[in-house]
Formats: sequence, structure tokens, C-alpha cells
Amino acid sequence: MLITKLKNQQELDRYFEKELFVFKCFGCKEVYFPEEEIGKLIIAKQSEVSGIAEVDYLCNDDFSKRYIEKNMNEIKKARGIVVFSCGVGVQVIAKLLEDKTVFPGCDTHYLNGFQGLTVLDCDCNQCGECYLNYTGGICPITSCSKSLLNGPCGGAKNKKCEVNPEMDCGWVLIYERLKKINKESILKDKNTLVRDFEKIIKGI
Amino acid sequence: MIDYTKYKIKTENELRTLLKDASDFIIIWCKKCYKAFEKDEDLEYEKIQHLSDISERIKGYEAIDFLCTRYLTEKKLSSVINSGYKEIGVISCGLGIQIVAKLVEDKGIRVIALADTIPQSGNATSVIGYHGIALGSEKCAGCGQCYLEITGGLCPVVDCAKSLLNGPCGGAKNEKCEVNPEKACVWIEAFKRIKKQERNLDSSVQIRDNNKFTVEEKEKISIFSASKRIENFYGGVHPFENKKITENLRIEKFKQPQYIYVFISQHTGSPASVCIKESDRVKLGQKIGEASGLISSPIHSPVAGRVVSIEEKFHPSISKNCPAIIIENDFSDEKDSSVKGYSEWETFSEEELVEIVKDRGIVGLGGAMFPTHVKLRKGKNPIDTLVINGCECEPYLNADNRMMIEYPEEIVEGIKITRKILSVENVIIGIENNKAEAIEKIRRATEGYGWITLKELKTKYPQGAEKMLIKTVMGRQVPECGLPLDVGVVVLNTGTVFSIFQAIVKGIPLIKRVITVSGLFEKPGNFEVLVGTPLKDIIDYCGGEKVFDKENYQLRMGGPMMGIIQNEFDTAVIKGTTGYILLSKNPVEISEENICIKCGRCVDVCPMELYPLYYVYYGKNQIWDRCAEYKVKSCIECGCCDYICSSKISIVSLIKKAKKNAYYKT
Amino acid sequence: MEKKSFSEKLKEGRFVITSEIGPPKGTNIEPHLKEADHIKEKVDAFNVTDLQSSVMRLGSLATCRLLVENGFEPIFQITCRDRNRLALQSDLLSASVLGIKNILCLTGDHTTLGDHPDAKPVFDLDAVSLLKVATDLMNGKDMKGNELDGKPEFFLGAVVSPGYDPVELQIIKMEKKIEAGARFFQTQAVYDLKIFEKFMQKIQKYNIPILGGIVLLKTAGMAKYMNEKVAGVSVPDKYIKMMADAKKEERPKVSIKIASELIKGMRGLCQGIHIMPLGWERYVPQVLEESGL
Repeated sequence: MLITKLKNQQELDRYFEKELFVFKCFGCKEVYFPEEEIGKLIIAKQSEVSGIAEVDYLCNDDFSKRYIEKNMNEIKKARGIVVFSCGVGVQVIAKLLEDKTVFPGCDTHYLNGFQGLTVLDCDCNQCGECYLNYTGGICPITSCSKSLLNGPCGGAKNKKCEVNPEMDCGWVLIYERLKKINKESILKDKNTLVRDFEKIIKGI
Repeated sequence: MIDYTKYKIKTENELRTLLKDASDFIIIWCKKCYKAFEKDEDLEYEKIQHLSDISERIKGYEAIDFLCTRYLTEKKLSSVINSGYKEIGVISCGLGIQIVAKLVEDKGIRVIALADTIPQSGNATSVIGYHGIALGSEKCAGCGQCYLEITGGLCPVVDCAKSLLNGPCGGAKNEKCEVNPEKACVWIEAFKRIKKQERNLDSSVQIRDNNKFTVEEKEKISIFSASKRIENFYGGVHPFENKKITENLRIEKFKQPQYIYVFISQHTGSPASVCIKESDRVKLGQKIGEASGLISSPIHSPVAGRVVSIEEKFHPSISKNCPAIIIENDFSDEKDSSVKGYSEWETFSEEELVEIVKDRGIVGLGGAMFPTHVKLRKGKNPIDTLVINGCECEPYLNADNRMMIEYPEEIVEGIKITRKILSVENVIIGIENNKAEAIEKIRRATEGYGWITLKELKTKYPQGAEKMLIKTVMGRQVPECGLPLDVGVVVLNTGTVFSIFQAIVKGIPLIKRVITVSGLFEKPGNFEVLVGTPLKDIIDYCGGEKVFDKENYQLRMGGPMMGIIQNEFDTAVIKGTTGYILLSKNPVEISEENICIKCGRCVDVCPMELYPLYYVYYGKNQIWDRCAEYKVKSCIECGCCDYICSSKISIVSLIKKAKKNAYYKT
Repeated sequence: MEKKSFSEKLKEGRFVITSEIGPPKGTNIEPHLKEADHIKEKVDAFNVTDLQSSVMRLGSLATCRLLVENGFEPIFQITCRDRNRLALQSDLLSASVLGIKNILCLTGDHTTLGDHPDAKPVFDLDAVSLLKVATDLMNGKDMKGNELDGKPEFFLGAVVSPGYDPVELQIIKMEKKIEAGARFFQTQAVYDLKIFEKFMQKIQKYNIPILGGIVLLKTAGMAKYMNEKVAGVSVPDKYIKMMADAKKEERPKVSIKIASELIKGMRGLCQGIHIMPLGWERYVPQVLEESGL
């Protein structure tokens, strides 16, 4: 899942020096989107807005084409386009309107559950090499701030991560899970695990 | 369309090593997501099955859709968990494996990951590449500082192998990336695009801030979103409410029309049988149609006048021509002798009261129009609680809301009558917390009644569906395909108890109701209208000429979620009309033609915990018995799946077809 | 008589003493070398920290070389936070040609804890895999099995945290580190001899030298802070009280007393100590004297 947040005011002010057409994707619905803030911003910048298209699933270029067709007159007149959506939506509009400058209105942040239906408390990092067999089914890449594969660092205090004391140390969770299922022996495996980043780069 | 399947089975050697020490085990596999839904079964496990040394230890397979939906997976897994195996092999992406591992940990079961997740980013510095809901080629890494303006909308973070932000490296040969000669150098592409826009490459120096969005902030948002999903009941959606338009407008008496069209089908069940004839004179409240079966209800004349004809008119909810009684109003308001109230109702027996409710043509006013007397009759199941539904969870509508604000005493009186009929002790009123004024009014009207509980509910669609409401206010689960009766509950809408009050205390049959007219009507409002008021009168009065521009606008009877699209306007208000909403048409219309990409969002929002995507797949292929296997009968047609569908498939219309055609095994 | 090296002393079973130098933020290394000079005679080797606490500083490798030139024996601390596997292997080879033998392999604090929280954390390898890589290099091969032209020789060390909870998890990882090539361990600061003793009993079977960690307490506040924030550290109440009751000018004296009490206790338990003076280098000789070393 992705979270979108409005860009900072300075950057937005810079965009709105010229007349812009606005695409506002409330997108994957039921997913975090700064609807209210964007509404306020558009009202504040009213005089620089030449038209608005409120859409969902902007990432579907089939649909986006139809929104563009419907608003073509206003888009032609506009000196640029600002898109409030995740980075995927911005890229789709930029691809469909190559001769227009497209401004991203939001910054996109990555959040747990890349392909899950909703936000989960676990995450998959698409590393290409599932390590869950060594860790009782808790991902060391995502549940450890350092993505350590061979055991914890020494930084956990009260079983919490050194980076964020709110977060459980992934390796302590792994240890506790393995104890529960009587498979602590897995931890003692002498194989030293090393990441294979080529899998990510080549997508294999 | 790009196939974003997220996992692949580990290699044979890996599998052999992994399963070396495993004893007998079973395999759970996820049926994949984010790919065109062209084939139901993708038998990944066959790749393991043919390994004879392993397959003899495999004692079973279980396919589960969207293994990452923890709530549903947990329910489906219970049989597997209790099967006694100490090892479970999982074929899924990392999410599914983690979920299963978590769910079985207390049983001491070890989960074996049999698949690797396929990386999506193709990039060394940000592992993650999110592809949006639709299956396009663009990806977003969620880096937290969108650079797309600088690069003309091509992402340097995902598409440059080195994620360079300040221009290309020197490695590109023939405009191709040094890492992958198949791939165009994104910086060269960006440069070309920027030239097309007659701009220069930005000269600023960009540096990544890798700590921009803190872990704490992320956790906060993820907890917020996750808790919102399971609030009150599983699934559901939060559409834009748009209630402000009419929320503070007092109920206005709509002017009496010259002609009235009373459809003989005003309820679920068999239509009324007409008991007057053409050119008869009728009085206000006079019965003009008799109930014609067990589940049926009589109809009454809303005005005094003369029957012009009995002819076919376009029925607004059945969506085809149906007989209607056309009455010309003489505006005398001469009442029928049967219009007689009983303020001394407390002296009546339960049976007598039900008979009056039946005789006065009371049906459910929430939209479903189920004859109320059937619900109130004593049956086999003991009833212990009456639940009053004041949710009105459909966007735009305010009819129930205004009734609660303006007639709280009458509603409470209606509740008292119903309570006596049902001989129940407890009454619960559920109102969504977006109706503060109604809650306050009802609270005051119920003060001093210990047997009545007012519950403020978090706003979420479809909170007003009976099954969801019962679950939220009482924690009782109505069985699949069951009725509230099965758990000892009767649910009535606030409007319905108001009309019970009207019928018994004032003697007035159900000949008028309150509707909301909203959306793009020039004069929106809440109106008390006679049943049978022609739609055209309402369009005229409320400034709705736009309805005739069918290309750009759409009229719905009811709310935007469950309301029925109206394409014929020579029709009239029926007992179940909750309102008329005029909306501008979306350039992308929902249709049955689009292709499902298995994004799973319909599963995520279905409050009945169904898998709507299968109704699409099997519905289109007309394999109706499979729809039945996926329990299409349980669907309440709330429209959440239509609302959320990322491919804009008209799922509910396919469901309606499936319900008609599916063979039900008992 | 030729001076014995740190590794030889450990092999002979001598009770060894190591201390540490934190390179400055800037180029002014002189005062640090001078501080070290004070205790040169007492200390067998000096750890040089690698951007300690993720704060950008002068590099560990260069400082180690300066120590060699000044006649000290350094222990090169190398973390996985800032270098990928190419840089790590290369720096290990560099260390070798610069006359640095002792290597302490660490994962490293996370970038967000230091003064450049916006930096990209690397963590391509971790402490275990780094030890293994260093061992491979000693065997004349790089990580991918390519032949090296001239192989380095290292004395590899690692760290362990006796006060960590659950300690079993630390021990499992410690075992992996030994397997990967660690020949000595230095520990996180120890304040509770009972916990330390239990830990030592558990790891006795590995028969590997352990250097108990000593951090001089400066104030009661520091002790409380460490109890609250620092992983694997718990200062017993009695020491906190001793520090709290001491007047400002008496604090070093009390602190020395505590440290020497701990060191005396450790002498029978482990093979050496590692003193982290954190700016109080000047008191180290006194600590060692009072401990009878």
C-alpha cells in the first residue's frame, strides 16, 4: 500500500504560478489519501485552476484516457497539469500528455503490504529469495530495521528496536515464534545467509 | 496488460532440501492476484506434485484466495489448523506465508515457504516497486519525495538502475541502460520528453532524504487504516457522504398532484389485487387493492378523486411496465370512513394490532418494502429484541434523519406499539454518528424508558443493512442466507415505525412518505410526498431538467450505492422510494464488459465476507452452479463491490443474474 | 625482547586489556593520540571506532594506521552500515597492507540514530557474513570465490552483549560468529557481575576469549540514562546510589572504585577487559592500578 501526502507549501506555490489543470485521484479508495488538504489547497488556488477532474484508479490508463478526452478543451488551455495521486498516477498522465508539464502534487510513501488487500502488520519486500523458512515465518528483511539475516544486532532494548522503540525487534519475534513451534534448532543452522541483490535488479 | 504475479515456486533442489526433514504435511496455496482473471485455477502446486519423493508426504491441498486477508484466511484455515499436521507448506508471496505462520503459531505448527516472491522494482537502490492498482507498466517506489516534475513524469528512482537523481551516468550505450541493454536509459527518455515540452533540465542538485517519513508516522497511518477496516463489521466502505446538501432542510409538504399513479406492486411479494374499477370515485385512504397472498399488502388511495384508468406504467424498481391505478385528484381530501385512529391502542390485543398494521398497508420504508405484518406475526422463533434502524447509511439521503429530528415523539410511540405487538422487553435504536441532531432528539424522547437503548454507531456503509446492524449493536451473527428472526431479532426502519404510529393512532394507511431530493437538483430538499406522486412533478418542482440530458447526467431512485437508475420518467413515487438523486455521469461508466484483474478489493469490502470476483468470472461464463458454491444467495446487493471495483465492472448486475440462474443446493 | 602481539597474548592466556579511541569529528587527531599515549604501557591494544553511533567522523582505517606508526597496536572496527560488500572487502585488504591485523566486525548502529539520519543505510552484509568474508579473504578467495593475488592475515573479533534479553538469541548468534571466524569477543558494558557470570557459564563450551566491557560511570544520570536507553546495559541500583551520593569532585574516585570492583570480579571469569573511557582516558591508569593490573 502507498500513502500519499501533500507536497510542502513552497513547492506547491511554485507550481501554481501558472494556470493548471488538476487531476485529483481519490484512487484506491479506502486507502490513505489527503482528500481534505487537497480540497483546501484547490480552493485557495482557485484563480490558477483552469479545471478539475476527480477520478479514481488514475493508474488505469484506459480510464485515464477517457477522463482526458472529456476534459480536453480545458487541458489544452492549461499551461500545465498538477496530479494529486501516487507516483504511478502521475506517470500515467505524463505518458498520455507528453507535451504538457506534469507536476506531482503529492509525495508518495511506501507502507506495509505491497500487494495485500489492505494494510497489514507484516510486509513483503519482494527480495526474490524467501527467508521465511529460517525465521518461523516472520520476515527478517522487513521486521528488522537493518534487514539482518543472521541474527539480531545488539541494539534491541527491552525487546524493542534501536531505531524505533515502539517497534518490536524482529529477531526477538523470530526467536519467540521458533520457540513456540519448537524449531529453535533452525536458528543454530550454520549457513551464513547473504542477500542476492541481482535477483532484485534483474527481477528474477 | 502486465501480469504482476508475485511468486514463483522454489527450484526442485531447494524444495528437496527444504522438505528433507518434513513428515506428512499439507499445502496451502494462494490463487494469486494482479493478473487478468482469465482462468479460474492456476495449479501452482502441480509443480510440486510431480516430485514423487515429496508428493507421497503431501496429504492435502487447500486453495485460499487472497491469503493476505487475515480475517477471512483465519476463518478458512481453522479446519487445516485442527487437522493435526505439524507442518504446512505455503505457496504464496511473503505476505501470505507470514499470515499463515502467525495464525498457526500457537498450535506449534511449522510453516514451510515453498515459493519465492518475485521482485518488482528492477532497481538496486529501492527494492520496492509498487505498480498501482491497474496493471500498467509504471511503478512507484514510494520514496517520499516525488521527482517526477524534474524528469517529465518518468521515475528516476524506479526506472534508473542506479536511481540517479541528477542526470544520467555515463554508462548508457545506444541509449540503453548499462545494467539491462533491453531497457531504455530513463534519463535519456526524460531528456527527450522535457524537450517536447520546451523546457530545460532542472539545474538543482537533488539529494535523497532516506529518513523523511518516519517509522512512527507509518505505523500510525497503518494502524489507523487497519482499524477502520474492521470497525463494526468486516469490510464496508466510506463513500463521500454528501448529506450536507439537505441535512438542515425541514420536511416540506409537497403540493398535491393532479394525477396519482398507484402501482399495484408496492411491496415484496405478490402484487395487490385491484378492488375498484375505472371511473369509480375513491376517497382518501380508501382501500383500492387487497393483499393477495401470505406475503402481500393492500394499497390505498392517497387522495379523494376519480379512477381514470388502470394502465401499464414504467415501474421504478422492477424497471419494466406494470399496472398502476391512475386517479384524478379532486382536492377535496374527503376521508374514507376506514380512516380512524385508536389512541387507546394499549387495550388492543397483539393480534388485533397486527391486523391493523396489515390492513393499513404498512411495508418497510428503507427501500426493500417487505410487508411489515409478516415480520410482526408470531412464528416459531422467539423474539427477544426489537432493533430500530436509524442508520440511513446511503450518501445524500436525509429522509430518516429529518423524521427523527422532527417526529421523535411519534417514532417513540410507534416503537411502543411495535414492542407490545412483539411482546419484547428490549429495544435498541442504532443511529450513525453523523446525525448528531437526530441522536439528541431521540435521546430526549426516550428519556426515562429503561428498556430502550440508543446506540451511536461509527459511520460506515452499509451499517444500515440488517445483518451488519445486528452484528454491530448486539454482536449476533445472522446465519448465511438466514433472517434476523433466526437470532431472535426484528429490525424495523424509523420511517416504518412512524407509519405504524400513523396507522394505529391516526388511522392513516401508508399513503405518504418522506423522500430526499438531492444531488444536482436546483432545489433540493426533504419532502413529504403522496405515494403515487408522478416523478415529473418532482422534477419540475425541484429544478431537475438535467435528468433529460441522459448523456451527462444520471437519476437514481434511492442513494448512489443501492439506488436504481431511472431512465424512464413517466413513473411515480412508490412506498419504497427513499429519494431521488441526480448525479453527473462519470466518463468511465461501470459495465459488465471490463476485465477483472484480481485486485481483490471486492473481497476486502464485502460485508458478507463473500468473494464477488467469482460472480464476475462465473457469471460472464454462465457457470451458475459455481456462483451458488460461492454463496451468491448470501449477497445483500449493498453495492460495495461495484463501488470499489478497480476495473469498474458492474458486479451487482451480474450477481442479480446469478441469483436468478444459480441452482441452490439445500 | 620482541613485543608480543595482542593475539599472542590471548593465546598464552594472559589477562589482556584493550581500550578504545574515538576518532574526532575533523582532522585534529593529535590530542587523541596523546590521550592514548598516557595508557600505552598498560593497554595491549586499542579499538578504533568506525563512525561510532552513526556520527560522521574521521575514518577508522586511517586512525588505525596512525596508531601503527606511533607504535600502538590497533583493533580496526569495521561496520556494515556504510559500505557494501565491495567496499568492505576492499577496506579489509587495505587494512592488511597498512599493517593492521586485528579486525572487529560489527553490524553497526542504524543511520537514523546518528547526525545524518537522512542517509541511506547500507547493511549489504551483517556482522556474521562480514566475518565469513574476512575468513574467505584469509584463505585467498573473495566472496565470489575469485582467487586473490596475495592474501591477508587477520585476527578476527566480534562483539556480544551479555545483558541482552533474551540472551539465548545473542548466544546463538555468537556461535555463528565463531563459526564464521571470530577468534575473540568484546562485550557490551558490564555492571552486573551475576548476569555476566551466568553468561560466561553458558558460553564456556565455546572456549573462546572474552573481554568484558567496562564503561566508567560519570554521573548517576548517565547510569539511569543507560538503563533506560542503551541496549543490554543495566546498572544496579547500588552503583547509581553511590554515584548520586558522591560530591562532584569525588565522582571520578567513586567511578574508579566501581570499575575496579567490576574488573576484580571479572578477572576470574573472563580472559580480559575492554575499557571504554568515553573521554576519561586520564583515569584509566588509576582504574587498572586499583584493579591490581
